[in-house]
Amino acid sequence: MAAKKTIPPRHSWWLLILLAFPLLGLLVIPPFALLARTSPATLLRYLAAPAVVQAIGLSLWTSAATLLIVVVFGTPLAYILGRGAFAGKGILEALIDWPIVLPPAVAGIALLMTLGRRGLIGAWLAGAGVEIPFTPIAVIIAQTFVAAPYYVKAASVGFAAISRDVLDSAALDGASPLRRFRNVTLPLAFRSVMVGGALTWSRALGEFGATIIFAGNYPGRTQTMPLAVYIGFEIDMHQALTLAAILLLISFGLLIGIRAAYARA
Amino acid sequence: MGRKTLTPALSRITGRGGNAKHACPVAIAMRWRASFPIVLILLISGGCGKEQPAAANAPPATVTVFAAASLTESFTEIGKRFEAENPGVKIEFNFAGSQALRAQLENGARADVFASANAKEMNAAWSEFLVKPGTIHDFARNRLVVIFPKDNPAKIATLNDLGRPGVKIDVADASVPAGEYTLQMLDRMSADRAYGPEFKKNFLADVVSREENVKSVVSKIRLGEADAGVVYATDVTADAAKDVQTLIVPDSVNPIASYPIAVVAKSQQALLAEKFEDFVLSDEGQRILHDFNFIPASPGIR
Repeated sequence: MAAKKTIPPRHSWWLLILLAFPLLGLLVIPPFALLARTSPATLLRYLAAPAVVQAIGLSLWTSAATLLIVVVFGTPLAYILGRGAFAGKGILEALIDWPIVLPPAVAGIALLMTLGRRGLIGAWLAGAGVEIPFTPIAVIIAQTFVAAPYYVKAASVGFAAISRDVLDSAALDGASPLRRFRNVTLPLAFRSVMVGGALTWSRALGEFGATIIFAGNYPGRTQTMPLAVYIGFEIDMHQALTLAAILLLISFGLLIGIRAAYARA
Repeated sequence: MGRKTLTPALSRITGRGGNAKHACPVAIAMRWRASFPIVLILLISGGCGKEQPAAANAPPATVTVFAAASLTESFTEIGKRFEAENPGVKIEFNFAGSQALRAQLENGARADVFASANAKEMNAAWSEFLVKPGTIHDFARNRLVVIFPKDNPAKIATLNDLGRPGVKIDVADASVPAGEYTLQMLDRMSADRAYGPEFKKNFLADVVSREENVKSVVSKIRLGEADAGVVYATDVTADAAKDVQTLIVPDSVNPIASYPIAVVAKSQQALLAEKFEDFVLSDEGQRILHDFNFIPASPGIR
């Protein structure tokens, strides 16, 4: 393999660039337009506002909890999907993709129907004195529901791509299943796992629709950054712009960090 | 911009005859590469859509009405009647929190009529020259009520129960008119000996969520997720009444909301917009509002 990349003739490059340009502009310009409207001075001033601090703190810890939950429970699931062969696997994969195509508002309603006070499981929980809606737990559940499929999908593709021979020879060398996973499977699937984790974290950080419906909106308890941006947009434009800029910088930092980790691996 | 303007220009560029009528510019571009930048510009400006009818009928005039969420049912009905009485006119609604609508107008959203659930958002719109000053009129009034799920999980019997610890109360956010009125109601109640000075504090300690839209409060009470909510009397529609019970808030502590309507300054359909506003203020419009539990603004109609 490894032939030279075929280079299209000059004209075609121009055509490609010309066609790619509008989309590139659409993707890149709005974030900069947003940043251009916020001066560093206002950014710092609002960064100290209690409402902003609360929203950032809540967003960070709930999305981190979401990521942890997704990695702990999503990795085995991804492994089963990536390396297992069983009847109904296609259906299972489609079911896991479901939350990705579901509008977030629908996800919120579905979660209420499941874990709400009168929900399928929620009614039973309420009987035991546990009520989930309007709590940070509900925020984490909403984020997990919406964001987990990204991790599971990416990681399972990574696990599936590992060649059988590599795992077999590790087994022949006498490596235990756990060591095989830690020293062979995981390093080989590292890129996919990282990409999946980054996608899940960013999606959790940006979660809005399912959160406002299922967890409600209460500062310090369930009002994450996206909710504060939305509510702020209607009362205090500057606060909304600041929060939006912070959200943007955090997510951008996240993407850069992932790329750096990627390059090192 | 349809085909008519595109095709001759294209044939001039490509040097081909009028046969291009049914060909898409992309196909032509493929045949003759050098023209592609021009074709691209044409594509961007003119599109490559379906054949348009040669002499299209005048499209029906559309009046876009930005209306407070609490007007959803009544204005939908008013819109239907207005359309029936004015053939060829279509009313399009955008229902949302008044503050969201005002923010949308500020950011250049196209609309013809703005109906707010409070004077504050209308005043803001007026001071930013977003509405025509001469057209601002109050057209309805509304009052707050407390609703709770039919099975009454928190055993609410009087307004005083709302200050009890552990009751889960859902309200509209203070950025929404309904939420602002709720706070006014709490201030008045705390000043009233029947409820006591601690009432507001106790009530707010019970609040589990501040919804960005009063209709969300109704939904969450209907679903039984919260024990009580403060909404407008008009939100308790016949449909909602199947799932909730209502507690009246006395006039002495009830901030009566006034709803102003106005024609948007940049309206492209100003005449029709005014006609719609007149219809809302007419006896017929007021009667419809009354049917939906609003207190009519014009005297004489009850």
